[in-house]
Amino acid sequence: MISITPATVLRRRSDVRYRRIEGEAVVLRQSAAEVLVLNEVGASVLDLADGESSVGEWIDALRDEYEGDSATLARDVLAFASELAEAGLLEPVAGKEEP
Amino acid sequence: MSLSRVVATAWRENLLFSVLLELTYRCNLDCFFCYNDLGLRGEPLSREQYFRLLSDLREMEVMNLTLSGGEPLAHPDFLALGARARELGFVVRIKSNGHALRGELARRVRDEVDPFLIEVSLHGATAAVHDRQTRVPGSFDRLLANLRELRSLSLRVKLNSTLTRWNEGEIEEMFDLADALGLPLQVDPEVTPRDDGDREPLQVAPSREGVLRLFRLQFARGRAAEEGKPEARVARGGDDGTVPVPVHKHCGAGSSGIAIDPFGNVYPCVQWRRPVGNLHEKGIGEIWSRSAGLAEVRDLTVRVKERIGAEGPGSHLLNFCPGSAAAHAGSPLELYPAAVQRREILEQVMVEEEKRALLPVVR
Repeated sequence: MISITPATVLRRRSDVRYRRIEGEAVVLRQSAAEVLVLNEVGASVLDLADGESSVGEWIDALRDEYEGDSATLARDVLAFASELAEAGLLEPVAGKEEP
Repeated sequence: MSLSRVVATAWRENLLFSVLLELTYRCNLDCFFCYNDLGLRGEPLSREQYFRLLSDLREMEVMNLTLSGGEPLAHPDFLALGARARELGFVVRIKSNGHALRGELARRVRDEVDPFLIEVSLHGATAAVHDRQTRVPGSFDRLLANLRELRSLSLRVKLNSTLTRWNEGEIEEMFDLADALGLPLQVDPEVTPRDDGDREPLQVAPSREGVLRLFRLQFARGRAAEEGKPEARVARGGDDGTVPVPVHKHCGAGSSGIAIDPFGNVYPCVQWRRPVGNLHEKGIGEIWSRSAGLAEVRDLTVRVKERIGAEGPGSHLLNFCPGSAAAHAGSPLELYPAAVQRREILEQVMVEEEKRALLPVVR
């Protein structure tokens, strides 16, 4: 299990290809020849996973985009980031963890 | 959302998802039934025009990009274009004859283009048959060596073949060869006229017996592959992508996919050579959203769906292609002999399979 905190910095793995179709994301992991379809929040998380910004910064960015309870959004994004990392779509960037 | 729903959405909403680029018609082989229109003339797209096109396609959220030909590796900018496609995040496929895919070039393709898949043409199980098709002595032996090298480089390779009168007698051996190489083999049972309408390739169209032999073999291989597998899961209403999602079009030609020839002509599909615009005159975004020709094609795919649906319950066995229909019969709505024969033979094989299932198992 990959531990994800708001300070974690993640990036898309190099074999991940994705495009947005009507808000959702069609994702291909080339190495596994595996196709996934992610919902709108998942698609946004993929967009944000640039290897520069932290998960906490994603939450701030998404807070402006999506209405609803802030704590729930934070919990959902952390869980989603963890799931995507487990699925091999995202990887932590060494030495980029925010203090 | 399942992938099948995404595809249905792309068809319905005209969202461009897959593009095939015929980079050049130059080729280092000389296949007898090559479908390219080698007499077609025009101004080839420049490297800058390709870069602009790729950038536009990225903006349009196109996912799949196939680099084809001719032999795409014969294009002088192949690696630069492939590398740009990778940089822009396309899922890149390469359709090649495999003749030049070795050594330094194969390594550069892997490292610089990073294709998802390389589709390589195999025309027979023996040098005599394969080289008869390619009209280049030694091409079979060289292909086998190259395929082994591609495998050793961990490149994902698939073999494509067209069933012909020349190779139908060794179709079992072709599958055996593919198995020995550890590669999947897809066989198209239909030879089509050339893109300029020349029907010469039909001289080597497979016989009825040849197609029957192929379908029997494919069913048998499918059965063998199923043996030992766990019982199939019950489909969950399309969410797992196993159930087709109803859509009002016959196919995605011109709705989710297009093909572009070396001179910038845009077609609804690689099979359907009905020009709908040219990149020397307009950008791909404008062609996609405003081409009257594309609007007609999209309407035709709706009419094809209705036309083929009227053929009754077995209509899907026709595996009808409006592009092939236009080439064979002059209209994308006309049934053509190869499709009719395909349905008839598939129905025969399916009846045989049903009878086989009723036979007692002898141990």
